[in-house]
Amino acid sequence: MADKWRLIYNPDGDAADILAYPSALVEGRLAGKYLLSRETIPDTVIVQGVNRKGILAGADVRVDKQSAKDHGIDVASYPRSGRGGAKQVDTVSLKELMIKSSSKFSAQEVDLDDTALLLYTSGTTGNPKGVMLTHNNFLGEFEWVEDAFPLYPEDRIVGVLPMYHVYAMADVLVPSIYFGCTLSLIPQYSPTELLKNMADVKATVLIAIPSMYIHLLQISRSRKTSIPSSLRSCISGGAPLPLMTIKQFEEVFQTQLSEGYGLTETTSAVCINDTGEGYRPGSIGLPSSFVEIKIFDEEDNELGPNETGEIVIKGTMISKGYYNNPEETAQAMRNGWFHSGDLGYRDEEGYIFITDRKKDIIIRGGFNISPREVEEVLFTHPKVHDTAVIGVPDKSKRETVKAFIVLEEGETADPKEIVEFCREHLSPYKLPKFIEFRESLPKSATGKVLKKELRDGYRDERLLEKNGE
Amino acid sequence: MGIGTNGSWKRTESKEQPVIEKKSIGETLEDRAKKYKKKPALLFEGKEISFAQLNESVNKLANGFLDLGIQKGDRVAIMLPNIPEFVYSFYALQKIGAVAVPFNTMYKGREVIHILNDSGAKAIIALTNFAPLLNEIKPDVPSLEHIILTGERTLVFVHPESTVSLQMVHDKVFFSDTDTAYRKIGEIIVDALKSFGVSGAWYKHRGSVRVGGKKIATCVISEVESLEVVNVLCFLGPLVTDDFFKVIWVPPEVKDKVLEPITSVEEETGIRPDKEEFKSSILAIFSEKFGVEIEEGPLKRDELFAYEKQRALANKA
Repeated sequence: MADKWRLIYNPDGDAADILAYPSALVEGRLAGKYLLSRETIPDTVIVQGVNRKGILAGADVRVDKQSAKDHGIDVASYPRSGRGGAKQVDTVSLKELMIKSSSKFSAQEVDLDDTALLLYTSGTTGNPKGVMLTHNNFLGEFEWVEDAFPLYPEDRIVGVLPMYHVYAMADVLVPSIYFGCTLSLIPQYSPTELLKNMADVKATVLIAIPSMYIHLLQISRSRKTSIPSSLRSCISGGAPLPLMTIKQFEEVFQTQLSEGYGLTETTSAVCINDTGEGYRPGSIGLPSSFVEIKIFDEEDNELGPNETGEIVIKGTMISKGYYNNPEETAQAMRNGWFHSGDLGYRDEEGYIFITDRKKDIIIRGGFNISPREVEEVLFTHPKVHDTAVIGVPDKSKRETVKAFIVLEEGETADPKEIVEFCREHLSPYKLPKFIEFRESLPKSATGKVLKKELRDGYRDERLLEKNGE
Repeated sequence: MGIGTNGSWKRTESKEQPVIEKKSIGETLEDRAKKYKKKPALLFEGKEISFAQLNESVNKLANGFLDLGIQKGDRVAIMLPNIPEFVYSFYALQKIGAVAVPFNTMYKGREVIHILNDSGAKAIIALTNFAPLLNEIKPDVPSLEHIILTGERTLVFVHPESTVSLQMVHDKVFFSDTDTAYRKIGEIIVDALKSFGVSGAWYKHRGSVRVGGKKIATCVISEVESLEVVNVLCFLGPLVTDDFFKVIWVPPEVKDKVLEPITSVEEETGIRPDKEEFKSSILAIFSEKFGVEIEEGPLKRDELFAYEKQRALANKA
């Protein structure tokens, strides 16, 4: 063991130095051993600072080099590590697991009702629950896909939705393989990257979320990017898409854009609001023949047309329940129907409309207030870019309406003018009592506002506590 | 039939659509590989991966998983973006009859602990840059036996007003084992932070030094042959990330989820120590703890060549 260590002190280095010094020391020591260099190299401590902003990026991170230059940010890239390169201790390399293994394997036999994957979904309260999805659930979804939006081996599908989400898993990845299509993987979403990828691979099918369609429309207008004409059909899901956007997108991209509806517990989509003649604004469409959908009241009695209640679903794609959680499973699956937690109604023709999440309903002085109704009014205000409405307790602990608002860029607004605007369109008891302006709203991977995170006392789950969980 | 048949979803002339056969997800891939062979199943960064190649990679990984002791019914977490390794992992788990537990790559801290514990995950497959977090929470997840890493997406921001880095290159034998190495380095950082008045700093396990729940320093130890390399990044002043996000595109609503919540000496104490003070503090603690003498010295000849080369490599890509 060396008694004498060396210090290298470089207080005004740059991003490249942070990478280069330790690597150089390693190389010097290892080379020294082979080259019989006479110099012995001591153990070393390096203290460094930078005199300019910098990014140290792994080989797979995409950095906009030009933009970095414009913002005075140095970019230093880690070299791609080959075999024998630096390896984090006590971990297994996936590459090495593959290199040393045989390429022959026969799928082991499984019961088709066995769980194939667990997908965690956040409830309105409490910890995320693991939804069990079986091979049969997927087969159910394939039947539905084949009928509602058939995919063919000639299709090139854009895989831009994150695969860890049920929407991508059950409507993109697994069906793409199942129906023999080609799937283009996009690891890091940006509007330009998506548009470029669609053009490069001559995509025929895009399955995405509303914000992506909105972004694509925006850049198709503002930039001289070529618009791929290969798209035959698109699906949007995760949140509603304004009719105007659908029409504009269909026109600019010469394609057809339908909206899907589904949940993790239903192995993604169970309904599609098909573009064209069958389209009903604000509806999720008609249930297909592979799924039964009804509207139930609180006592699980079926409701008639135009009566609002909870949407319940039955079919082969319904999950067998939550992992290790029989109570929640029994509650959600009571009387043989999956209770979606979504409130809605069916019109005389059978089209289904969603009004709210059951748990989001605000009860003020005995009256039910639909947050969605208030949000829709707020959205029509020209200064409002994004909004979410929740119920919060007022001073006397009674539930009242609070609106979170993201203003259009460069806009300012007074809470009063927002409330006055609402007054023109809403009954007095529905008016927001509190208004909070925010820079952005917390959203899920599919663009749903995470209302849980807007409520008081929300515990930031990203923090680690000293005593673990 | 359902609405699709009469709806306006554009159909092609192709009649070549499989009837829904009652087969598992793993078996289906084998069938498709036989049927479509060289037809591309995946496109990724300009490369084509055919159905046959996909099936082979999946087979290799399935065998690799079995070698690690992962069996039918075991739960294995996947924390990956849309890269081929996600697809390989998912289908390899299907082929061995294990349960895939994919989850959001932006989850942090307790969110990850909850999912791993609730599912009783035996292994997790993640990007290399998640190793520090996973190492740190491993003691809180008793079922977790393996951390399997792939991809190279390390992303570190350095800033003149905020960050200072401490690195060490030494013989592996200096610390008796990795846990000791992490612990000792963690203690040095905690002591240094305390010398600047950050009284609440604590070291958890293999990775970050935190104040409250937030990160104030990170540590990664890697090994190359007989050497151990330590990389510590410590936040002396608040890290303003706005500029960085102009260069790396992240949807606005997830910006605050890309980085773990961090704090700095200045945010905790109101005073930002300079780099000189940081250096002196570290050296004093280091000498005291290990009884070694530390003297400032230049790079040796072999190292100088290597330094020029490494700088060129870092600036190239």
